[in-house]
Amino acid sequence: MPAFLLSRFLQSAVLLVIVSIIGFTVLNLMPGGPLAQYGLDPGMTMDDMERLKDQLGLNRPIWVQYFDWAWRLVQGDWGTSFRDGTPVLSVIGRHLFATLLLMGSSTVIAIAVGTWIGIRGATHRYSLFDYVATIGAMVALSIPTFWFGLVGIYVFSLKLGWLPAGNMYTIGDGSVLNYLHHLIMPSVVLALVHIAIWSRYMRTATLDVISQEFVKTARAKGVTERRVLMKHVVGNALLPMITLAGVQLPSILTGALVTETVFTWPGMGRLFLDSLGYSDYPVVMGLLMFSAILTIAGNLIADIVVALVDPRIRLA
Amino acid sequence: MTTLTATQAPVRWWQSRVMRRFVGHRLALLGLVMISALALICIIGPYLLPYDSLYIDLRARFAPPMTGQHYLGTDPLGRDIAARLFMAGRISLLVGFTAMVLATLVGTLVGVIAGYRGGWISAVLMRTVDGFLSYPSIFLLLALSAALKPSPMMITVIIAITGWMEVARIVEAEVRSLKEREFVLAGRMLGLSRMHIMFREILPNVTGPIIVAATLTVARAILLEAYVSFLGFGIQPPLPSWGNMLNGAQQYLATAPWLAIIPGIAITIAVSSFNFIGDGLRDALDVRNDTL
Amino acid sequence: MTKSFGTRAGYSRRHALQLMAAGGTVGLLGPQLLGKPAFAQTPPPAPTGRVVVGLSQEPTVFNPLMPHLEVDDGVDFSIFDALFRINPEGVIIPNLAVEVPSQDNGGISEDGLQWRIKVRDDVRWHDGTPFTAEDVKYTLELIVNPDFRAWRTTGHALVHDITVVSPTEITWRMEVAFAPYLSFLTETFIVPKHVLETMADLNENAFNQAPIGTGAFKWGKRVAGDHVELVANLDYFGEGPYIEQLIFKYIPDNTVLYTQFRSGDIDLVGQAYITPDNYAEAATLADRVVTLVPKASVETIYLNMERPQFKELAVREAIYLAIDREAIIDALNYGVPTVTETFMPKQSFYFNPELPKHEFNLQRAAQVLDEAGWLPGADGIRAKDGVRLAFANSTTAGAHLREQAQQFIQQTLAEIGIEMTIANLPSAVMFGDFWALSQFDTAMSGITYLIGADPDVTNRFHTKAIAAQGGRGSNNAQYSNPEVDALLEEGSRTFDPETRRAIYFKVQEIVRRDLPFLPLFANTSVFGHKAGLQGFVSNSNTRTESWHAAGWYWA
Repeated sequence: MPAFLLSRFLQSAVLLVIVSIIGFTVLNLMPGGPLAQYGLDPGMTMDDMERLKDQLGLNRPIWVQYFDWAWRLVQGDWGTSFRDGTPVLSVIGRHLFATLLLMGSSTVIAIAVGTWIGIRGATHRYSLFDYVATIGAMVALSIPTFWFGLVGIYVFSLKLGWLPAGNMYTIGDGSVLNYLHHLIMPSVVLALVHIAIWSRYMRTATLDVISQEFVKTARAKGVTERRVLMKHVVGNALLPMITLAGVQLPSILTGALVTETVFTWPGMGRLFLDSLGYSDYPVVMGLLMFSAILTIAGNLIADIVVALVDPRIRLA
Repeated sequence: MTTLTATQAPVRWWQSRVMRRFVGHRLALLGLVMISALALICIIGPYLLPYDSLYIDLRARFAPPMTGQHYLGTDPLGRDIAARLFMAGRISLLVGFTAMVLATLVGTLVGVIAGYRGGWISAVLMRTVDGFLSYPSIFLLLALSAALKPSPMMITVIIAITGWMEVARIVEAEVRSLKEREFVLAGRMLGLSRMHIMFREILPNVTGPIIVAATLTVARAILLEAYVSFLGFGIQPPLPSWGNMLNGAQQYLATAPWLAIIPGIAITIAVSSFNFIGDGLRDALDVRNDTL
Repeated sequence: MTKSFGTRAGYSRRHALQLMAAGGTVGLLGPQLLGKPAFAQTPPPAPTGRVVVGLSQEPTVFNPLMPHLEVDDGVDFSIFDALFRINPEGVIIPNLAVEVPSQDNGGISEDGLQWRIKVRDDVRWHDGTPFTAEDVKYTLELIVNPDFRAWRTTGHALVHDITVVSPTEITWRMEVAFAPYLSFLTETFIVPKHVLETMADLNENAFNQAPIGTGAFKWGKRVAGDHVELVANLDYFGEGPYIEQLIFKYIPDNTVLYTQFRSGDIDLVGQAYITPDNYAEAATLADRVVTLVPKASVETIYLNMERPQFKELAVREAIYLAIDREAIIDALNYGVPTVTETFMPKQSFYFNPELPKHEFNLQRAAQVLDEAGWLPGADGIRAKDGVRLAFANSTTAGAHLREQAQQFIQQTLAEIGIEMTIANLPSAVMFGDFWALSQFDTAMSGITYLIGADPDVTNRFHTKAIAAQGGRGSNNAQYSNPEVDALLEEGSRTFDPETRRAIYFKVQEIVRRDLPFLPLFANTSVFGHKAGLQGFVSNSNTRTESWHAAGWYWA
């Protein structure tokens, strides 16, 4: 186990270096740069631009900039945003809550609805419900999320006027109810894909359990079907649920990006798009590293949990 | 890396194969019919319509669907949406398909080499795969399409760049498990070249998973094109694509909702079709790897 | 609490001009003369209520001397004061200064080199420390401090020998006479010396995140990615504030911005404003005031004059003739913007109304090209001496109205054998080197030519401002005309408004003839606010709708 951990950690470290190099290169390949936002300002002269580039260290060779950035990162300094001069970690921190709220509620919805659909589909196999759920899941995976969001806004905000078209809360009304009201549409839209994946998974897991001898035995002994199902299905599903959650950690950034854009949600996805738009390199790099670390950590945790729980899997 | 396959194993949700085959095959057939019909309409449709997809007529702006001969209405420049939808379909499908071919080629190449050679070559290749995978693909897409001039070919390449890793992973795992098999060992003993063994002996045995992955890659590529073009970074006007038809639709959501609804439905149909087909193929070819 | 309530007289342009010419007289009347119409209601005795301003970009820079965008201006104008302000009529009026210096009142020496400014003695920073001329000196020196990431330094770099004569008086010497500087000072907000002196780092410090100014509003808090909250400064020396809370809310999508205005979540639509397609509907909303406000920017197609296609005037004229501007304005932009022939904002005193009128005439365009020897080739595209009349047009990707105009123009040009391709870029790419170093064939954008309200356009049209040829400005069209150069040099040395007016009329005439850019229309914003919000006045001479939030109040 320790040897396995060590090797995984080493691999992860190498991976992070690769990720950061690719990210830095791609970012710097992008013409324009952080000063492009002032390109239309009639009062900014070329001299001003050159001076600012010097002051921001953008005139140095790319590799010097990279090593400078990497060396600071190793020392725990994530740099400061070009845009507002605040430390990158605090910029990320300020947007974390909104994203966590959105991801959290959508995950709850996905697991709740997905579990229900999955189990019902398995217990009513080949029923109309099962077919609709099967096809529905595939279609759900095929709908462009941003489009689904747009249709949602059209129907529920513009036509029916039931739900707000965007934002996390109304200014001056920070009540829980107000948050919930704003949360409904984006979290459902975001949950759609996960409901699809999760319901398929639960269906299979339930079918596995149903077909097993001990369930038949239990049923014969007069234990109610519901209790048997709940006990075994949930028991068996716990492990993959953890794995899935681990693998989905990084989607804190990617998963929410589209939804946050459409619903003007003040989270990390928006921050990422905004920062990319302003070529705010330190923040973009910070978000990338944050996401990479989450990905790697997610995989690592999933691996370890699986290894701990399932002795059949030999650790490489 | 046994751990890797083990990680993903529990996510599979298609283990009761009999049922899945049953549904899957029907769905696959449906998918095949849907995508063929869509492709056919996109190819011949423009010849049947009285409008050119690029012709701007400001007097006919924002005509709702079913007005006169504008069956699907017109866009903010008075162009016929049906004509644009079909032309856009050609482009979106072509981009999706070509991106898939590129991604599959690269992914297969990397996968076969990494899987067969092992050692440091594999380590470098597969860590690079991991590296690419740990990015939000939207980041690579946006940054690259900003860095390079967004011609349709370039968008295709960029989408391929963000989509080859899954194929590589699948192929690598398969090849690794195959390379100690008797037929490979026999080939080695016969003194066959490495190239020959890799691409003539092993590769044919991996086609199943590759085909499945390729089908799902098309679906993904179409979605990505749509998203990138929606954000304005993809296919550039006046050339229509399903994605860039949606670009700007949000602005007219209240007054001209058909601008947003119609292309979205086309995308959903196309992507569902490929997902249906991929799912069916997976059953038929008995592929157990997950690519979702 | 001292508040000055002055007469609220309406101003005619003539009156404003007299004042401008007279210079100092305005100073005596104080900062309440912000061109405000008289209202039936009177402001409340103590600040009450809250105003939420919706913005499509997020204000993030709160040190007004550091590089920032239009959206940041709204916050800066509310928290800080400058020596002078510029009112909606384009008249410079005192803010922290007691009077506006001029050659007439002796504030500026006859040669334009010696400046003497008297500042108020009744101003306190938000932390209670009195404001003095030392703060002005510190501010002007900070801008040119090489360690400080300053915003614009044009003009400031010419200032030398800054001397604080007394806490209420400061003098300096200019390297050369530079008339636009007065206007630049209206956008140079004064920062507190006693606070910034204690900061270890000039660029990254606590002040930037919780600024201290002298303005009508004090810093409240910021919820990153969402909003900035300011609160009333009860000790403000000038008029107002009448509202307790001023909130700048970030709503990144124009559609949502409008939806929230309609639903009443925001009280005032700020930066990016109401999109033209929503104007008609917005105008019918109950309890909302929706107005068209001319902007300082002109929608233009820049022609890169160094491209072989555009060297010939006939080509530029023909393309201009082949653009159906009326259709672009009326159909694509819902009649919101207005026609213009020049870079000068229409509301400016320096606007030349006598320029030749544009005409959409495809036949005439074809004829001009035929006569100049640009004849259709085998592919139907005109060419001359091996140069095809083909070019790319670039604009910001995702700017829907511009993209529509582009495609419309493309179709019209194709009819007379001109090939225009579309190559749009994200704004972060477009306005980098691509724009600055003139790497485009043609570019479409809304361009602001003036800094503040000063008519000086050296930066845009002087030969020395061609960055692509080693110059230091933003002459992105690479336009070069010695006659214009000479006029511009004369204009920046001249202080008298009437003389300058003649100079810039001439400049506009020549530029209109040379067509280094094709003016499409004068940009117009659709402003909207709740009917109950009183005291709201727009000001095209500033970059923000919130230039005078101090005067806002609820009826």
